[in-house]
Amino acid sequence: MTAVELRNVSKSFGSHPVCRDVNLAVGEGEFVTLLGSSGCGKTTTLNMIAGLEDASSGDILMNGQRVNDLSPVQRDVAMVFQNYALYPHMTVAQNIGFTLKMRRLAAADIRARVEKVAASLELSALLERLPAQLSGGQQQRVAIGRALVREPRVFLFDEPFSNLDAGLRVRMRAEVKELHQRLGVTSVFVTHDQEEAMSISDRIAVMNQGVVEQFGTPEEIYSQPASRTVAVFIGNPRIELFPGTVARTADGTFCRIGGVSLALDPRHAEGEVEIGVRPEHVRLGERGIPAVVRMVQPVGPATHVTLDWEGGSLTASQPGFVRLAPGSAVRAEIDPAQLLVFDRKTGRRL
Amino acid sequence: MSFARRQHGGPLLRGLVVLGLVVFVVWSAGPVVWLIVSSLLEQQALISQPPDVSPSAFTLDNFVQVIAAAAALGKGILNSLMVALFSTAVSLALGAPAAYALARLPVPRANNIAFLILATQMLPGIAIAIPLFIAISKLGLIDSVFSLGFVYLSFNLPIVVWILRGFFLGIPVGIERAAAVDGAGVFATFWHIVLPISIPPLAAAAVFAFVEAWNEFFFALILTRQSAQTVPLVIAQFAGQYQTVFGQMMAAAVISVAPVIVLAIVFRNQIVRGFADGMTKG
Repeated sequence: MTAVELRNVSKSFGSHPVCRDVNLAVGEGEFVTLLGSSGCGKTTTLNMIAGLEDASSGDILMNGQRVNDLSPVQRDVAMVFQNYALYPHMTVAQNIGFTLKMRRLAAADIRARVEKVAASLELSALLERLPAQLSGGQQQRVAIGRALVREPRVFLFDEPFSNLDAGLRVRMRAEVKELHQRLGVTSVFVTHDQEEAMSISDRIAVMNQGVVEQFGTPEEIYSQPASRTVAVFIGNPRIELFPGTVARTADGTFCRIGGVSLALDPRHAEGEVEIGVRPEHVRLGERGIPAVVRMVQPVGPATHVTLDWEGGSLTASQPGFVRLAPGSAVRAEIDPAQLLVFDRKTGRRL
Repeated sequence: MSFARRQHGGPLLRGLVVLGLVVFVVWSAGPVVWLIVSSLLEQQALISQPPDVSPSAFTLDNFVQVIAAAAALGKGILNSLMVALFSTAVSLALGAPAAYALARLPVPRANNIAFLILATQMLPGIAIAIPLFIAISKLGLIDSVFSLGFVYLSFNLPIVVWILRGFFLGIPVGIERAAAVDGAGVFATFWHIVLPISIPPLAAAAVFAFVEAWNEFFFALILTRQSAQTVPLVIAQFAGQYQTVFGQMMAAAVISVAPVIVLAIVFRNQIVRGFADGMTKG
């Protein structure tokens, strides 16, 4: 069943379009991430789902009901904001319980539910503290607690970890994923961090300039990007792109990049293309394209080696530590089965 | 680990800054210091040229005499207290929701309205004094604490709206959005969230409105006769037709500014934060 659905939803601020014909269907209990760089319209889309922004056109549905004209409370959504948005004058307990107070629950009920949520988030000892007396991670937990206590139909997360340091971000990410697995509440998450999106989501909607470029599982997004934009946005180190020409010969289909020919799947038609090579599909060894090492970056599990070759710059991601001196001559072998071919004009994957 | 405050410029620049600050403090505090000193001097010592500030010239007689003739000053303080508290309380009660609406709600042409509100303060007092006098005398409200309080309210309200609007504009929108998602409507958000976090600017606006009403002389002079006279008018009466009792006048002034100074000291942190927030976030 579809818990949240956007049908041709558009939003403009004045004459400036922010979202154009967004179509999304989030299944019941699914964890969907809106991923994109700043200004791509992902937060505006989330705000429209929450009821904090009106859609200029299109329909927003929840459990099959059109909710465009309903307030956030009527939509039964809870939201975790980027800057936590905790009420600075209220204690942790008051912050978590505020939504229940607005629903006129009895004080004893509020207390019981707040304590239950606080215990599940390890906040019990902090209930009487003010937000200013908490660390960033604790504040984020309070913000999540405030959303949890409502037992809402849909959770919305607006870049909730962007203000946390790298280590804490990874920990909080795991906590949210665990929480989702435990509660199974439909969740829509916004982030610009592709690694975060890949690790936490059931499906990802990659947005660019107000348009959903691709909506799919993390594997689909990574391995079969719909466009050059998606391919460039996903993956670290990023994919390398080279202009090439596809030619069919008696020996097969090839792509020529400068003086180098790479074997291609025979389904590709002749023409001008762009070839995408992900660093993990490049192997350094005895065979392949001659190249010169420009830079070596060991990151622990892998070493990223940046090479200069006839086609330009190419990064090879090698497992473990690789000892290579800048300037040394190597050979790079590209796995032809993993090449991504894009139409040079439209940017769509062929 | 602590970080030393960064020093800007060389010793010459710092010396100039310190000199500038000393001049500013002397310039600002000088009249107040002279007010206190002259309230403690005998009349003869005060009017001699140059004034005699030898230890023998100091006396508490001025205060004794002002307090002995306390009826007029006491009544004046009471009147001032009533008009200042009334205009302050009502300007906050009306100004805070108005400022919030202009800052946050979808009010058409909110900026223009805010500017119009401020524009009412651009007229010189003398320009509205005569029409105001005619209107109030036709209503039969001359010499009434009530009417004076309303007049001060009309002066204070625009300033309160401007101070608070600047602060409200600076409150992160996320907090109000969180309140909306939590189920709070506009009024609940204003009451439970916005007002409690706005105590510093509310205190700053309140002190500003109170001091303005407490010190106002011109409109009190033309709109009161006897029973509604405020402190500044009572003090002015120490200047007689044939003699001005400077020492007593200064002693009365010292007594009259005391509540304002106490107010400023008690709320100094909120005042500074309130005005600073209004300036930086507005």
